[in-house]
Amino acid sequence: MLRYVGKRLLQMIPILLTVAILIFTLMYFVPGDPVQILLGDSATPEQIAEARVRLGLDKPYLIRLWNYLVGIIHLDFGTSYLTGSSVAAELFSRFPRTLTLSSLSILFTIVIGIPIGIQCAINANKLSDKIWMFLTMLGNSMPGFWLALMLVIIFSVQLGLLPSNGTGGIEYYILPVVANSIGSLADIARQTRSSMLEVIRSDYVVTARSKGLPENDVIWKHALPNALIPIITVCGSRFGFMLGGTVIIESVFSIPGIGMYMVNGINSRDYPVVQGSIIYIAFIFAIIMLITDLIYAYVDPRIKAQYVKAAKKA
Amino acid sequence: MEHTKSNKKELLSVRNLVVEYTSGGEAIHAVNGVSFELEEGSTIGLVGETGAGKTSIARAILRILPDHATRAVSGEVYFKGKELLTLPENEMRTLRGKSISMIFQDPMTALNPVKTVVDQIAEGIRLHQKMGKAESIREAVKMLETVGISEDRANEYPHQFSGGMKQRVVIAIALACNPELLIAAEPTTALDVTIQAQVLDLMQKLQKDRGTAMIMITHDLGVVAGVCDTVAVVYAGEVIEYGSKEDLFDHPTHPYTQGLFGALPDLTKNVKRLSPVEGLPPDPTNLPAGCSFAPRCKYATDACRQAPVGMTEMTEKHFVRCINCGKEA
Amino acid sequence: MAKKKNSPAKKQGAGSERPGSFSYIWRKIRKNPGAMLGLIFVIALFVLSFLSPYICKYGYDEIVMKSRFALPSLDHLLGCDEVGRDILSRILYGAKYTLSIGILSVAVSCVLGVILGAIAGYFGGIVDTLIMRFLDVFQAFPNILLAIAISAVLGSGFDKVIYAIGISGIPNFARMMRANILTVRNSEFIEAATSINCTTFRIILHHVIPNAISPLIVQVAMGIASAALSASGLSFLGFGVQAPIPEWGAMLASARGYMRDYPHMVIIPGLFIMLTVLSFNLVGDAIRDALDPKLRD
Repeated sequence: MLRYVGKRLLQMIPILLTVAILIFTLMYFVPGDPVQILLGDSATPEQIAEARVRLGLDKPYLIRLWNYLVGIIHLDFGTSYLTGSSVAAELFSRFPRTLTLSSLSILFTIVIGIPIGIQCAINANKLSDKIWMFLTMLGNSMPGFWLALMLVIIFSVQLGLLPSNGTGGIEYYILPVVANSIGSLADIARQTRSSMLEVIRSDYVVTARSKGLPENDVIWKHALPNALIPIITVCGSRFGFMLGGTVIIESVFSIPGIGMYMVNGINSRDYPVVQGSIIYIAFIFAIIMLITDLIYAYVDPRIKAQYVKAAKKA
Repeated sequence: MEHTKSNKKELLSVRNLVVEYTSGGEAIHAVNGVSFELEEGSTIGLVGETGAGKTSIARAILRILPDHATRAVSGEVYFKGKELLTLPENEMRTLRGKSISMIFQDPMTALNPVKTVVDQIAEGIRLHQKMGKAESIREAVKMLETVGISEDRANEYPHQFSGGMKQRVVIAIALACNPELLIAAEPTTALDVTIQAQVLDLMQKLQKDRGTAMIMITHDLGVVAGVCDTVAVVYAGEVIEYGSKEDLFDHPTHPYTQGLFGALPDLTKNVKRLSPVEGLPPDPTNLPAGCSFAPRCKYATDACRQAPVGMTEMTEKHFVRCINCGKEA
Repeated sequence: MAKKKNSPAKKQGAGSERPGSFSYIWRKIRKNPGAMLGLIFVIALFVLSFLSPYICKYGYDEIVMKSRFALPSLDHLLGCDEVGRDILSRILYGAKYTLSIGILSVAVSCVLGVILGAIAGYFGGIVDTLIMRFLDVFQAFPNILLAIAISAVLGSGFDKVIYAIGISGIPNFARMMRANILTVRNSEFIEAATSINCTTFRIILHHVIPNAISPLIVQVAMGIASAALSASGLSFLGFGVQAPIPEWGAMLASARGYMRDYPHMVIIPGLFIMLTVLSFNLVGDAIRDALDPKLRD
């Protein structure tokens, strides 16, 4: 198993490298001069030239790219044009907030979504199933940021129960987590329903039932473990999305996480910030995908056997 | 076969069992009034073509018919005097796997792929014998050895076993709690010919050792000849001939049975599939009004097609569902 | 026996079309009330959007200072925004942005994705590896971020949003097409086609694509829903279509500052986004059910 993990980590390197090169190149060709934006319209040509040299923007593309890649290997993502602070340090300090928001959201998603999906599968095509399926589709169709605004209007403005923005104790996370989870929750519930439906009619579930197991055990111990793989896939990619993509929710609730950092970077053409955030997100995403694949192996011995075989071959 | 039919107590009695499925709004008449009896320790064979309703009978007895498709179940199933169809679900659960258990047709899909085989056996033991985890595992390992799988393979997963080995595991699961009745739904159909004999021998040996009664569902007449005491021939969800193995092999009476048994050209040849009678079974969504076999029967008369046909007792305990039989066609 | 033959023939009589054909799907959708409502909503929205300059009492950009922040009333059915523009007129006029961004960006992802996927799947080998690794890089981020990154490069505006969302949707289509082609390629009728000397191009055009078309339809319907959702998100963040164009996400973004006192300005555009996305989802779901043999009982 360790060999497999090692192999996967090695495979991540070229992808991340390509991401870095690609994003650096894109940013290089983006219209608009960051120095001009940084110094404002009143800057003299001398000031601009001086700033270019200071920021290393005067060097040719390949040299800048090389320096950037060497920097990344040393975990140096450069410094923000705007504030002069280290991008890496800023990312590390912001990450816990994004991680907290994402972890709570995925937890909420799983704890609520999977039981809904299971209930729907058990009662497939009955009225309760149809109602839930419609509700989950509604959740899937709802813009998370709009739900966020609605929740703020109801719980902060009207009822005054929960804070509408900022960070702090757990109460600051309730509305963002709900708004952030709604889409994934709907997805997980639907995925759980459909993969449970496939499993629930299979022979080994009948075997379990014919042993005299209580229905709860049949569902949770025999059917669910076999239905988990696609559910885990959705959870994994949703969690990855959240870790990198809570952009909009963070912006609605003014949570200074990774997403906000990147959006601010784009708005102020602070390229090192944008590049750094994107590579960082790609890295986190790849790690989550790897963890997802490892959970597969834990859940399904056949997949584990495949991994071991594949790692030996290589 | 030392178990003769005398002095044996009745274990199971199925009376007028009806199972209806539904599909796309249409009713499928899978089982239409099946009755038979089974004594302790003896074996009845349910013989018939694929789709005749044999497996539905078995599942109805254990009450494990698929919920989503089942429309109606009626009739009576008495097991040691208890009526199973009206038993509360929690009482039924204490019988399943303990007093009545089932072996399924396809060992490839009957085992849970994400649990070790020993776990799957121990689970039932733990549930019914009220044992601790370690103890139940020990019992399960013993059971595995009984079916010829060594202890060192106990912690492997089903995907690491061959088809024959999987079926041994399935048998171990079914017999783990010493059930009084074993329902074997085509236990050898999915296996290689050489493995079939081994599995069958194993089942017979265990049955004899433990005195388990068995319902053997099959379309393999070789199996019937080998293991059954009585035979019920099932056609379109009805028993059309019912009697001792000897009665049926020596005096097959119903035209359908004659087709099946008469088509056995030579017992030394291995006849695997039964389809010696021309034509197809009737569509279960649209059964004939009269005798369900009439459309395929060369002796059929207008009287056959008009009204349902009842059972006639030919000789003692040998019943036939045919109005022409006995009249000497 | 005659009775038996009767029954399947009767079943086919209701719809002699092949499952998967357009008439079959259409018949299934017609039987599904949710999908029909969705379809009607989308079509009505589209028609009203183009008619809105002629049927609305107020222009979408007509500023009436005295009716600033007006709540919904008979005069202004959905109220007015911060400079007194009629929200109903803006919603209807803006519908064409949301709808066309959704449809056009999926067209971009679909065309490019299908071509890439078809090439990768059909030729296999090094071509396949190159394309798939390239798409791996694309899929190394969440979709919405990819769209944000692309629009950061392209800038904001209607056409840019379409490209940004369109490009970020390519991998899904490519992967699906490739998987379909791999399945079809290994089937016997392709061997048969090859054996009678069909050219590769001909095989792809006449055999592979028709066989992969039904999952594609589902993906397109679902894709429009999620593209419309992403588009509103992008505009909300200020990367997409920008105010004063009445794109719904942009309307939400500018209404956000007033939501404490005038929640109707926030509620209404979001409701329309949701209903539109829901409509596409309902239609997509109905198509998927129609095409999924497992769900056919």
